[in-house]
Amino acid sequence: MMDDPIADLLGKIAAQDRAAFRSIYSNASAKLMGVLLRILGNRAEAEDALQEVFTRVWLRANRYEADKGRGMTWLIALARNHAIDRLRARRETQADDEDAMNAVIDTTPRAENRLIAVGEAKRINQCFDTLEVEKAAALRGAYLTGTSYIDLAAQFDVPLNTMRTWLRRSLLKLKECMEQ
Amino acid sequence: MTSTPAFDLPEDEALAAEYVLGTLDLAERSAAESRLRRDPAFAALVNDWQNRLADLNDDYAEAPAPNLLPQIEARLFPQATAKPSRWLAWIGGAVTAAAIGAAAFMMLPPPAPPAPTMTAEMSAEASPLRYTAAIAGDQLTLTRVAGTDAEAGKDYELWIIEGDKAPVSLGVLSQASVTIPAPKAAAGYVLAITLEPKGGGPDGKPTGPIVAAGPLAEI
Repeated sequence: MMDDPIADLLGKIAAQDRAAFRSIYSNASAKLMGVLLRILGNRAEAEDALQEVFTRVWLRANRYEADKGRGMTWLIALARNHAIDRLRARRETQADDEDAMNAVIDTTPRAENRLIAVGEAKRINQCFDTLEVEKAAALRGAYLTGTSYIDLAAQFDVPLNTMRTWLRRSLLKLKECMEQ
Repeated sequence: MTSTPAFDLPEDEALAAEYVLGTLDLAERSAAESRLRRDPAFAALVNDWQNRLADLNDDYAEAPAPNLLPQIEARLFPQATAKPSRWLAWIGGAVTAAAIGAAAFMMLPPPAPPAPTMTAEMSAEASPLRYTAAIAGDQLTLTRVAGTDAEAGKDYELWIIEGDKAPVSLGVLSQASVTIPAPKAAAGYVLAITLEPKGGGPDGKPTGPIVAAGPLAEI
């Protein structure tokens, strides 16, 4: 089993250890801020969301199960879910946002994540290479920016159901490739 | 082509993958989230996809985050010097006998108190009052974590508000902390405390200023 310092900290936080809570903030806040900023696109809102996310880390740490995934994966899922919920709540009350749509295709270079073994990182990227370029970009961009089907469909100029079918099939191919 | 893939993911798995991918709209996300809480098989599918796509997280560049710990801790541990353990104990999942024992018109606790499912942090601008509320099973526990009793001749009154509907009174607060039967509630309902004439707002309606309020959120 690989070392997972974040998982260890979550275990302590579940037992109400405030020092561990401070430690997880200093270890993970920059990464989670990166996630929130990328999805929300606005520093003030990202900072507000960061407070909410860490509040939930304290309240929900007892639900983390180390045998089901790495600590950082759990933290990032918490941050992404919160950010996407905010984005949807915001987006459904306003017209389509050009900037967010343009942000879908992802070209940002990959940051190295020291917490994830290189071997694993290679695997998903190799599997992305088995997808059509456009679909791989849509999938990656959707994940990173939390883009909705509605916006993806508009951006790729296809009906929503077509977009959904594309991505579902791409997800299936990805899964099959990763299981090989 | 070296292999012919199955044509489509099973519907549940597709939904789990889409939830993790983040492409669902608000209504679909809410439906998926509520299913996550009651359907372990679906939760396992979501967990698998979370792990499967986790390597994409490498693409999120780190961004400098300000030190927001003081604000976060102030929210989580109000008045760190005054009995934080009582509040923390329920968050940890166990309603302690001490927390219940202090309540004014408490009900007898069941043998194994359920963990809280919803909480609210209540405060208002220009008000020194802060309360935390937690709904666990059929009980709502309200704890004052900062501030004092209402001035002589006045009472604090607790209300629950669903969307744009009129506030529904949950009663006058006779003590700093109370446990009462939980009202019908869902995430997003707002709990509010107003300052009212002794005995509560006449006609069952709030008349005074809001001294603390906050939305209920699922834990």
